[in-house]
Amino acid sequence: MSDGVPYEDGYFVVPDDPSEPPRLLGTRCRACGEPFYPRRATCARCLSDDVEDVLLGPRGTLYTWTFLHVPGFGEHRTAQQGHAAGQIDLDEGPRVQSVLLGGPTDFRIGMRMEMVLEPVGEDKEGRAILMYRFRPAA
Amino acid sequence: MREVAVVGVGMHAFGAWKGVPVARLVREAGRKALADAGLSFRDVGEAYVGHMQHPPMKAVLWMKEFGLTGIPITHVEDASATGSVAFREAVRAVAGGFCDVAMAIGVEKFTELTGAQVQRGQRDIEGTILPVAFFAMWAQRRMHDRGTRPEHLARVAAKSWNHGALNPMSHRRPDHTVTPEEVLASKAIADPLTAMMCCPVSDGAACAIVAAREVAERLQPDRPLVTVRASVLRSETYTKGHTFLGAVVGPAQMTADTARAAYEQAGIGPEDLSLVQVHDAFAIEELEYYELLGICRPGEAEGLVESGATALGGRIPFSTDGGLLARGHPGGPTGLAQIWETVHQLRGTAGARQVPNARFGLCHLVGGGSVCCIHVLAREDAHPA
Repeated sequence: MSDGVPYEDGYFVVPDDPSEPPRLLGTRCRACGEPFYPRRATCARCLSDDVEDVLLGPRGTLYTWTFLHVPGFGEHRTAQQGHAAGQIDLDEGPRVQSVLLGGPTDFRIGMRMEMVLEPVGEDKEGRAILMYRFRPAA
Repeated sequence: MREVAVVGVGMHAFGAWKGVPVARLVREAGRKALADAGLSFRDVGEAYVGHMQHPPMKAVLWMKEFGLTGIPITHVEDASATGSVAFREAVRAVAGGFCDVAMAIGVEKFTELTGAQVQRGQRDIEGTILPVAFFAMWAQRRMHDRGTRPEHLARVAAKSWNHGALNPMSHRRPDHTVTPEEVLASKAIADPLTAMMCCPVSDGAACAIVAAREVAERLQPDRPLVTVRASVLRSETYTKGHTFLGAVVGPAQMTADTARAAYEQAGIGPEDLSLVQVHDAFAIEELEYYELLGICRPGEAEGLVESGATALGGRIPFSTDGGLLARGHPGGPTGLAQIWETVHQLRGTAGARQVPNARFGLCHLVGGGSVCCIHVLAREDAHPA
């Protein structure tokens, strides 16, 4: 895990210690307290520019989900015929949308979820390119 | 602000038009609208052209089909709401006194889009989840909160497919009565949505000509006058649960806020409507919009569709032309197809789809990003001319 690189900089942290969980890079407004994912320079709620960086996740609650029986799209097309997608309310507040790891019968609204990193390819140096996913919490 | 009337509508039927040049779709819709209005392109003072996915400059180049008269031409884009927003701009140009006659025209050829074009500007970090998955998640949540069953979604879809069969402009025109069972048995796409609960990939064009009320009365003294009573566009207001990455549209509250503003502007309430067109790209959406537009109270949408109230012949027919689900959703022209249908209904020229004595029609679209655009059109009974 430690030799992996994030799919895109600025959204999540790949921990140096593989036993540590990945975290999302978020923002909290110092003026009104509202937390956001991803990072932003102006509070979407009170419009203050007085914001600070925070780490969010890796745990939350499943708000909704579906299982797609068609291939996904994006640069890294989901290889398998079908995958789950969901929205997770992070324990810190923000709702994030993510590909979920699991089958068509593995999810129910309200269940506890955890964030993990999944290799989605390799860069030129042979390092794993990692993207975050959510799965039912252990 | 001047009162604005719709004086002409025209469409190129929605469908899969492989090999047909986009300019030909534009020409057919625009010329039909001008003929319907009894106007020449020389009478048009300003034009707004809606498309989502075609390259820069195309809007102005296509408009040369009508002749080169020097008028201002503006490309408008607001995702699925593009056609509605082009219409709104034309209405504002006339209402504001900038011209007496304005054209709104929308076109799109989605069937010839390549995967690379669809993905343009999309990154994996936010683009891995298809619109169908996003709205399937609405359905899962509603099933959890309200006890909605896939049968309710199938009833919405079957109703709209059967409306499409009656519309010569519809992409999907089934040759038999579609049943909820047939909808449920179609291919699973994103649980609980099946293929027949999702809109097709369509091409097409649609056009509306608007004019100042006094121009309309002079031009068409013998025709029922159709006015624009409300034209409202909103973007999202921040609420908890707002999802910044990957979501297609924001919290459903946006539709309720836009509807409230539209009813206020029109001076009517939802109980006054004769028919409604909505952004029913996926069947779950229409069910949600019954409540968000105030047609029924929260929790009553399932009962409303079961009662048949939203089918032709019911109390408040929805998606009378087939909606996005059957008539199709090419993007650019979709909002103008809603105007086409509503104008025909209010004039009493909707043929087999006619809603008896239609007086007020509401057109609603959401556009990814997201925005919501609502128009209320009215048949003015007291015709002073």
